[in-house]
Amino acid sequence: MTAIEPQAIPARRLEWRRAKARQVITETPRVKSLLLDVAGWPGHLPGQHVDVRLTGEDGYQAQRSYSIASPAEDTLVALTVERVKNGEVSPYLVDEIRMDDQFELRGPIGGYFVWTVAMGGPLCLIAAGSGIAPLMAMLRHRERQSADVPSVLLYSARSLEDAIYREELDAMAHRNPALRVVGALTRRQAEGWTGYRRRVDRSMLADTCFPPDRAPRIFVCGPTPFVEDVSSFLIELGHDASMIKTERFGPTGEPA
Amino acid sequence: MTDDDLAFALDGNAAAGALRELFAAEITTAQIECDTCGSVGAVGSLRFYAAPMGVVLRCNNCAGLVLRAVRTPHGRWLEMRGAHCMRFAPA
Repeated sequence: MTAIEPQAIPARRLEWRRAKARQVITETPRVKSLLLDVAGWPGHLPGQHVDVRLTGEDGYQAQRSYSIASPAEDTLVALTVERVKNGEVSPYLVDEIRMDDQFELRGPIGGYFVWTVAMGGPLCLIAAGSGIAPLMAMLRHRERQSADVPSVLLYSARSLEDAIYREELDAMAHRNPALRVVGALTRRQAEGWTGYRRRVDRSMLADTCFPPDRAPRIFVCGPTPFVEDVSSFLIELGHDASMIKTERFGPTGEPA
Repeated sequence: MTDDDLAFALDGNAAAGALRELFAAEITTAQIECDTCGSVGAVGSLRFYAAPMGVVLRCNNCAGLVLRAVRTPHGRWLEMRGAHCMRFAPA
């Protein structure tokens, strides 16, 4: 198989660190980004995630994984969290967290779902909902490095209001002609919406993603059914499975 | 472990936190060969079945059991009967 030789990632002991909220950004009615000051943060690569651990007053602990949305170049660690109904962790992170509140996290974790400018392109990013978070870390890193790697982001959201980082993505694409941002709104489309008005399907991928003969590096992130559908469409279109990296959300809909 | 419930299937990459407690080197980019069908892929690309007790990783190609890591009150168990070998990227 044509394995992508990953750069060696130095292994560090994985320990729980104290994270302090420095800024809370409302992204959509159900999604917030937390900018965190993490004690002793060793730095990360775009696409990696962290484990968040909350401890109740009675000692009960709940743990979930969240992708890092900030670029490797930033000192604050950004997590973009969607509120999951009856979730154990996300309602606290979305609704309760205030400035200077603290909780525990460990990371960065996972060197597989990672892209850096040094790995080259073309780069094809495909996300649904809050699955955009790790791909945003890649795009932000790409921009910080002033890289011209040909890139496309295909982003599926229920409505324009549910699309995370909308203005930042538009501005990013405006600044860099080598980046194309394509939206697909699945439930409600604003008047004058010129993007796709359906779920991501095979013909949409054929039209937006780089063709297989250009051997794009493909990253897919979103709910499990979305990731499974998109991966099979990409294989049907002739993309090499080893070039497609996926990150599925857990059964609760929280990034896992 | 209910490792056959497809609804719980994630990517091996999501098991990185739990496996980092056992492996010193970055595990998700290591290439692992399935002993059942011989296919080779990154640990991060395997099918990950999360359970409260631990981690089950299955082959993406044949669904064969590749790796199990379980936490018990008596210690941590790592079973890799289904993995022929692993190759870690040079440091």
